[in-house]
Amino acid sequence: MSSSAKRTPPPPVYKARRASLLRSWLWPARSNLGRWAYTMQRVSGVGVSLYFLAHIIETGNVVGGLSMWSVPAYDIAKNNWNNTVDFLKNPLFDLGLVIIGFLLTFHTFNGLRLFFSEFGYGIGKPARPDYPYKPKSQNTLQDLIIWLSAILAALAAVYALNVLFG
Amino acid sequence: MFFLGDYLRESRIMLLHYFSGVGILVSGAIHLVLVFFVGSYEENLSFDGGIFSVIAVYRNFAFAFTLELLLIFVAFHAFNGLRVILIELYQGKKWEMSVNWVLTAIAAFLVIYGTRTVLLARLI
Repeated sequence: MSSSAKRTPPPPVYKARRASLLRSWLWPARSNLGRWAYTMQRVSGVGVSLYFLAHIIETGNVVGGLSMWSVPAYDIAKNNWNNTVDFLKNPLFDLGLVIIGFLLTFHTFNGLRLFFSEFGYGIGKPARPDYPYKPKSQNTLQDLIIWLSAILAALAAVYALNVLFG
Repeated sequence: MFFLGDYLRESRIMLLHYFSGVGILVSGAIHLVLVFFVGSYEENLSFDGGIFSVIAVYRNFAFAFTLELLLIFVAFHAFNGLRVILIELYQGKKWEMSVNWVLTAIAAFLVIYGTRTVLLARLI
């Protein structure tokens, strides 16, 4: 192979497959509850990650943000913090916090389900697949925990609505 | 990273992912309790004046340490989660190396920046 050999570009079909993969991640139509939980776990994880990024930047303002790298005076720090809180106190950011509360709660409880599944709890013992070949791991307990996560997430959103708008 | 390849294999990274999740459950619960479930929300969000106000929480060693642990756990958990998603979307040596280095750099920045906040806020 000479170094001037051109790399062949990937066939366009790959791009189309990637797009359809993304679509089926985000909207797993005609799939079971566990598959929906998978999508929700990822969407909520990305959402909370973005909030984490913003939260670290936001709380960094208490000591003066990126512009100050020494210990600020007490009054300056207090002023910085009050300015940050005032800036964030509006219905748009409050609604964002309600959504984050929903996503975080769902991610927590569904994540606990995944934690126990990882170590084999709650998914049944391995057994010979028999007709009608229903996977033992996708059982009522798993479905119940997924629904419970959704209900607790909704309750957390209601609580956040009450704190921020009530 | 290349020199950790044998030890930090995918299954062990996922174990770290699960246990950092449990760590977040504990330290995050303490964080949320300190903001929402003790005293009043308004007072806890103000700079000073309450037992659980911003500056009081930073000055308490145990609370500040919990925040630092939460920072490290979430930085690992969040960016490993993003890595898993991005590597499942597309495969290739170049892509995976880029994903690893870019995400590690952002996570490291967030840990350093957050640690700076905790350390400086304790000295105010």
